Amino acid sequence: MMNEFIPFISSSINDTIASLSYFQSEATLLAGFILVILSDLFFSKKYPQLSFGLTISIILIVMVQSFGLLHIESKSLFGGMVILDHLSILFKILFCLVSLLFVLFIRYNRSLQQHEKGTGDLYAILLAVHLGMNLMAMSANLLMVYMALEMVSLGSYLMVGYISRDQKQSEASMKYALFGAVCSAIMLYGISLLYGFTGTLDLNDPSFITGLNNIPPMALGVSLIMVLIGIAFKLSVVPLHFWAPDVYEGAPTPVTAFLSTGPKIAGFALLIKFIAVINSLNIASFDINLMLASMAIVSMVLGNFAAIWQNNTKRMLAYSSIGHTGFMIMALFVSPGEGYKALIFYMFIYIIMNMAAFLIVDEIEEQTGKQNLDEYNGLGRQLSILMICFVLVLVSLTGLPPTVGFTAKFFVFSTALNAYNSSGSLIILMMIIIAAISTLVSLFYYLKVPLNAYLRESAYSGVRVSNTAKTYLSMFLAFLLLLLIVFPSLIEQFL
Amino acid sequence: MIPLSHFLIISACLFCIGLYAVLTKKNAIQILIGIEFMINAAVLNFVAFGRYDKENGGGQLFALFAIVLAAAGVAVALAIILNVYKHFKTIDPSKIDKLKD
Repeated sequence: MMNEFIPFISSSINDTIASLSYFQSEATLLAGFILVILSDLFFSKKYPQLSFGLTISIILIVMVQSFGLLHIESKSLFGGMVILDHLSILFKILFCLVSLLFVLFIRYNRSLQQHEKGTGDLYAILLAVHLGMNLMAMSANLLMVYMALEMVSLGSYLMVGYISRDQKQSEASMKYALFGAVCSAIMLYGISLLYGFTGTLDLNDPSFITGLNNIPPMALGVSLIMVLIGIAFKLSVVPLHFWAPDVYEGAPTPVTAFLSTGPKIAGFALLIKFIAVINSLNIASFDINLMLASMAIVSMVLGNFAAIWQNNTKRMLAYSSIGHTGFMIMALFVSPGEGYKALIFYMFIYIIMNMAAFLIVDEIEEQTGKQNLDEYNGLGRQLSILMICFVLVLVSLTGLPPTVGFTAKFFVFSTALNAYNSSGSLIILMMIIIAAISTLVSLFYYLKVPLNAYLRESAYSGVRVSNTAKTYLSMFLAFLLLLLIVFPSLIEQFL
Repeated sequence: MIPLSHFLIISACLFCIGLYAVLTKKNAIQILIGIEFMINAAVLNFVAFGRYDKENGGGQLFALFAIVLAAAGVAVALAIILNVYKHFKTIDPSKIDKLKD
């Protein structure tokens, strides 16, 4: 039997070798992962910041390499295991941005820097997770999907539990690891059923679609939902959001900032692939699209309303990020015809806003020890520059001018209205209305910060604190938010 | 030859036992065992289906990868549970509730 395969060996080897040249950025990440481990192992005493320098240069190289691939339309690599197309390259660039900001965040976070374990391993884990996210964005095979997802998950569990300084941090990492493992086990079972129904693991294989069309809708629905549970966990969308507030509050703040951007966006890359598969099925009795739309609506409502009652700032941002996820699902839902332009633009801005928000929250906590909104009284005078940046970032998160958050929201809303006008679908109209209402609601909790910081005086009028690197970084990001509303074409030219 | 449905029934039972353990057990390590049940149910499915996929052997391959990834996942989770025990002196998830609304 083996003799039948011999003629194919040389062609498949040739295919693999030809694919390698398109796999440069992943190869760089892999080499960087090993380099960072080795440098941390042998040189961390002599040059304590060597692994930081290495990591940041590797991420910059990966960014340049990803930009170099932007001209590619669509390319199937490694026998169809991964597909490199324009959308996945855009996602790869987004991941580079996330990693870059995360590395800077780690570098200037005091509690991580002072930890006896050092940060070398954290950089190594980050590069491995980055590789996993890249593979998630490119994967076209169920095996690749599962492996990439697990790579990201395992790395994120380790990141959350990296310091385990106190009870809260260890609790957050345990909750995250256990919920995550359950969701990925359910997803694995769903994948095994899909494989059984179709006999292939390749998402783009025609027999995959015909196989799914030939089975009863109930069985198909159950197995697709099982797969979607694994993805929805990464997205932290309702009803699989319950881990998010706890983990975001408990994890070290840089890791929280990473979790709320990187893996979430990688989850969207996967969701886009599955929606493409679902849309090419002709199922009548089982409407997955309706389910996704209602998940988006419930996420927007629950995320934004629950955020109002939060006092811990990180928890508030966690709920607001659940609301943003719902909004992004709406963007994904309405923009397939336009190549997800509005979605990618929104994600780009979302990364900048969320990273900046967590940077500022972390800086406030390190300077003053304050974690709760009601303790922010009088901070407007004590940390004046930082609070101005924070207000700008929050205005952008709400989606108001003069920040680019407005442009991003406007793009999504106009795409959604176009989609509604052309399809007349009631569910899209519902989503638009809910999104508009939840944007209004989000004003209530975002504006609590300037309200406390500027209008309520505190008895304590402390000394003014000096500006640190994190302050300058958040100033830069806030400036970027102001700049991009004038020049949105800086991003749009790549979409 | 054992028919395919027998394998599927066993794997469905394994999956349900695992899910039951995850939902009811009051010990983090027992929950991990439940997760392992669920993963192995899927692995059994893959191997059983892979028998009919002679061309690519995708099922067998996936089973191997899933076993390795499950082992890695358990290693990480056990390390985390050890840390939890250091701080809480218990690994009952219902008693570990410092983070809540």
